[in-house]
Amino acid sequence: MKKRMQKTEKNVILTGVGGQGNVLASRALAGMLVDAGYVVTIGETFGMSQRGGSVMSHLRISPDEVKSPQIPKGRADIVIGLEPVEALRVLAVYGNPSTVVLSNNRPVYPIGVITGELSYPSMEVIRAEFQRLSASSRMIDATGAALEMGNPVLSNVIMIGALAQTGLLPIDRKMFEKEMNKTLSADKLAVNLKAFDAGVALMK
Amino acid sequence: MSKLLVPASSKVLFLGNEAIARGALEAGVSVAAAYPGTPSSEVIESLASVARERNVYVEWSVNEKVALEVAAAASFAGLRSIAVMKQNGVNVASDFLLHLTASGTRGGLVLVSCEDPGALSSVNEGESRYFARMLEIPLLEPADFQEAKDLTKWAFELSEVIGNVVMLRSVTRMSHASGNVLCGKLPARSRRAAFRYDGPIMDSQAGPMISTPVVAKHLLHQDKLQDAVALFEKSPFNRYTGPARPDLLIVTASACSLYAHEAVEMLAVEKRVGILKLATTWPLPPKLLTRHLQAAKKILIVEEVLPFLEESVKILAAGLSADIRKKPHFGKLDGTLPQAGELNPDLVAAAIGKILKVKLQKLPASYAAEAAKASALVPVREQTFCAGCPHRASFWNIHNAIALDGRDGFVCGDIGCYSMAALSPATGYSTMPTLHSMGSGTGLASGFAKLAPFGLDKPILTVCGDSTFYHAVIPALINAQHNRADITFIVLDNAGTAMTGFQPHPGLPVSAVKETVPAVDIEAICRAIGAEVEVSDPFDLDRTSKILTRFLSEKGRLKVLILRQACALSPEKKGKKRFEVAVDETLCVGEACGCNRLCTRIFRCPGLTWDRTKKKAVIDEVICAGCGVCALICPQKAIVKTDLSVSPS
Amino acid sequence: MAKGLSAQAKLKKQVLEQSLCTGCGACVGLCPYQVIHADRTVQLFSCDLQEGKCYTFCPRTSVDFDRIRRILYDSKDITAQIGAVKGFYLARAADPHLRAKAQHGGTVTALLQLAMEEGLISAAIVSGQNEEGEPEGRVIDKSSELIRYAKSRFTVSPTVAAFHQMPDGFGGKLGVVATPCQATAFAKIRTSDIEGYAKGQSLGLVIGLFCGWTLSPEKFKHLLGQYDLTYEKIIEMDIPAGRSVLSLKTAGSDVEIPLSEVDACVRTACRYCVDSTAELADLSVGAARYGGECCEMAGWNQVIVRSETGAKLMNLAGAKGVVEILEAPAQAFDALKAAAAEKKKKGLKAITIKTGSAKKLLYLSSDDPVVKAYLKG
Repeated sequence: MKKRMQKTEKNVILTGVGGQGNVLASRALAGMLVDAGYVVTIGETFGMSQRGGSVMSHLRISPDEVKSPQIPKGRADIVIGLEPVEALRVLAVYGNPSTVVLSNNRPVYPIGVITGELSYPSMEVIRAEFQRLSASSRMIDATGAALEMGNPVLSNVIMIGALAQTGLLPIDRKMFEKEMNKTLSADKLAVNLKAFDAGVALMK
Repeated sequence: MSKLLVPASSKVLFLGNEAIARGALEAGVSVAAAYPGTPSSEVIESLASVARERNVYVEWSVNEKVALEVAAAASFAGLRSIAVMKQNGVNVASDFLLHLTASGTRGGLVLVSCEDPGALSSVNEGESRYFARMLEIPLLEPADFQEAKDLTKWAFELSEVIGNVVMLRSVTRMSHASGNVLCGKLPARSRRAAFRYDGPIMDSQAGPMISTPVVAKHLLHQDKLQDAVALFEKSPFNRYTGPARPDLLIVTASACSLYAHEAVEMLAVEKRVGILKLATTWPLPPKLLTRHLQAAKKILIVEEVLPFLEESVKILAAGLSADIRKKPHFGKLDGTLPQAGELNPDLVAAAIGKILKVKLQKLPASYAAEAAKASALVPVREQTFCAGCPHRASFWNIHNAIALDGRDGFVCGDIGCYSMAALSPATGYSTMPTLHSMGSGTGLASGFAKLAPFGLDKPILTVCGDSTFYHAVIPALINAQHNRADITFIVLDNAGTAMTGFQPHPGLPVSAVKETVPAVDIEAICRAIGAEVEVSDPFDLDRTSKILTRFLSEKGRLKVLILRQACALSPEKKGKKRFEVAVDETLCVGEACGCNRLCTRIFRCPGLTWDRTKKKAVIDEVICAGCGVCALICPQKAIVKTDLSVSPS
Repeated sequence: MAKGLSAQAKLKKQVLEQSLCTGCGACVGLCPYQVIHADRTVQLFSCDLQEGKCYTFCPRTSVDFDRIRRILYDSKDITAQIGAVKGFYLARAADPHLRAKAQHGGTVTALLQLAMEEGLISAAIVSGQNEEGEPEGRVIDKSSELIRYAKSRFTVSPTVAAFHQMPDGFGGKLGVVATPCQATAFAKIRTSDIEGYAKGQSLGLVIGLFCGWTLSPEKFKHLLGQYDLTYEKIIEMDIPAGRSVLSLKTAGSDVEIPLSEVDACVRTACRYCVDSTAELADLSVGAARYGGECCEMAGWNQVIVRSETGAKLMNLAGAKGVVEILEAPAQAFDALKAAAAEKKKKGLKAITIKTGSAKKLLYLSSDDPVVKAYLKG
């Protein structure tokens, strides 16, 4: 069952904005990896998740060791952004030249941008920054795909599907299904699997 | 089956708080009580979800003091019980806690305090560890998820050994972090309750549960604590890793021990640094400490937030041989680590690096420069009221009433999501200049209202949430009425303890385990106190504003306005839009005189954004919760709402 | 780039904080940022626009009054004391029923009715009261309803706000009845040169009212309380000629309040006013009284016809016989001018005392020829 993964540890940061389902996504991801035999530590900052703040989960995936729930600066291997400037915010602090970035391209505007006091960088600028600060990066329209499915919050599962397709982590559809099966009813499971597949499709 | 009930030997991913709950279940806990507070709430939520299967009585209590009292009753009757709270909750419970430590306990009683270094979701980063020292009870601090479970289980046993309450302290980075846990056995049977009180007064098992004779019981209490120390000396939860004679000994506990391990790894100084991870941080086991202090050249104490452990180590060292006393001790007292905010691996690595004169390998300078440039492009994301939040509308009404009144009235704030009204980014109309503990807004308002003879003659308002009302506001409200404080008291009733995740409270007809229970009516309480009470929907801007304007103009008495509208994230509302909202671009005035972006510049709902190219307001369909309030404030009626609850015929 | 004060902040600093606000409503109803509440102009939220109609239209922000006079009137008609004068008459409504219901001669109501019936205007904004008894501007589009608003309340209602709140698509012309400060606001609106703003064109007729001062409703309400009265109980208010009392007609017995007591209730802003005849209206109407010792032609109005529009309406009224018109005696004209000049002197004196300088005249300019004429006085 245990897929091949580099012996070394992986540091993954999943970031987004309150309400995007960040916590659920990181726990689903971690659940799959625990079942696959890894020691996973998740550090979550979600106390303010209900109030439009940034939400960040640090996933430490290790063959054998409990790690600090906070990844040291500059040591993220993978940054997954449910929101593009949140991905950039994280990358600028936790990234290094070999970091890989996978981000949703749908902005959630901070209140300072809405009031006009701050500005939100264009997608072109964000993409260029991703390229400068990572080994490889990819932006996908996860929210768009989720809206097509009728529920924007599914974008988190779409991102998991997309991540599985990258092969960066030893996760696949079967593991996802098993993990979701632990908590979801049959109809909800079907919707989530559909979202997972949509994520896979976006990466093809 | 709930994850919490997996069979022994299962390996599962648990949130720190779930691990604590599982530990309590493995210990055979019978009663669990708490008041919700981040980062503690998941302990009771987890227990509530399996209450029926495991025959546990679980309640959300009205406040932390009552929670501890409910748990203590079970203990007195021989059952194992747990009371859970966040750091400042211990302050609320502390008066009872003082007397409880004096009377002692019977069944294992564990007080769990989940603390929030760095105030990630609090308005304080208070410490409750000092209560353990002050009230002379054992303090346990788990350092990973397995320990969170195991130490919790052991805490019940320890409590029964010493006949007193045991405090287990977690922090956000434990409680809200997750990791692998290997589960143990769940007991097959639960205990029967029996309360004996007919024995001699000094009989801890059969006498009355009282604190007198005070001095005799105090001495007994202190004796028993020595039994705990003896157990701590041999406890497997206190662990040392590192060389036999380290250059540097790190004494640490809790999440900080994970930071310390990570920092040592980052610096690759495993051969020079030893880590003594303590799970029993008060009272310290002196022999264990002495052994390790002797072996090391230098000592660094790593903890959050205040130098509690450091002080204990130094007091211990002061009584030891001169060569130990003279060893350099680093920590918070000498400024090696900060005495405020939370720690992380980087801060600890920097401290170790400084002491050992080792440099941390850094990223290439060019990358760091690029990263700094990228950081500058990223807009700050301030907290704000959610799209569809009733508080945004409530404070709109409050602000307007104060402005119309024209006497510079102000609002004494309280603890809840609505605390954000104290922050200007949340809305363009902040009116809340004070913010302290739960219920303090009403007490402060009651005081401000008495300052007119001294020259402060302004309308005084105060707000509190529905849950806060029961927790701590009622005495302050009675005080205001009895002392004729002219205040306008506003209950922001959003039908649940929204901030911490919709735990029910006494105003709702449902218990922690989803049973039907009597609801205690806020309106009836306020009327019984003798206040004039009005109830309104904050989304009804017209009516709410009129009531508030009238209240501010009518002097000399206590006035209560209950603003009822469920939280936008509440289960009954979440994902369901009442209105489809859209902006008619032909009517939107935008930045021109006549509007100047009232909606986005002042009202500030995340679901209503500003299209800089078109210079028009635009609804973000992904974020908009469909409350329709923005349609009411748009001066041009350019925001159009369609009622989705009315099906088109 | 350093920004200057916003229009709203300037309004606050130069008008509201200087107690110059007349409560006319010129800065209200344009946007959601300002409202009138309990007779106070309240700035609810801050607006950061550098230029705003609120500031531009306020009768107490400085402006080139001479330019406005030149646009609205024939320069040869302009007098220093009472503005433009095309004709000066004594007048009263021909309908005795209307006269009985109106203040003095009922000329204003008769003129408005005529203008509406002849299609010169399709609606009128007059002073009324809201449910809370606070004065407000009312839009009336049936001539038969005008009579209900024919009495003076000695207060200023935010009539200009009601004008602002008229929908932009309003097709016809509007008539308004305005105190001097309101007439000034309307004149600023009519002559404004704001891109995309054409609402001033819909002002078809501005009938000004003579005004010595107005009451602060809050203070006056308090004074009425001392006489066991409320606003609602008052049927009619007047200052009988030659007597220093405010006479109040109620359902019960009439009450007279000495003007010395009433004076304490006068709006502070009125003390800095230099216009008692609504100089910037199309025509201005007041009670007919003249001479220092005040002979009154009871039941008649004095009318100053100022503009072409005013003259046309007055001629029509005469021709149709809805208003009885007499040439006013020269003595009355002189008396009115003298009283108006006195008000100007008093207002300017109050301003110079307030600012401490004859050069700093708040909303007025020492270069304005009219101001110059009375500054020394």
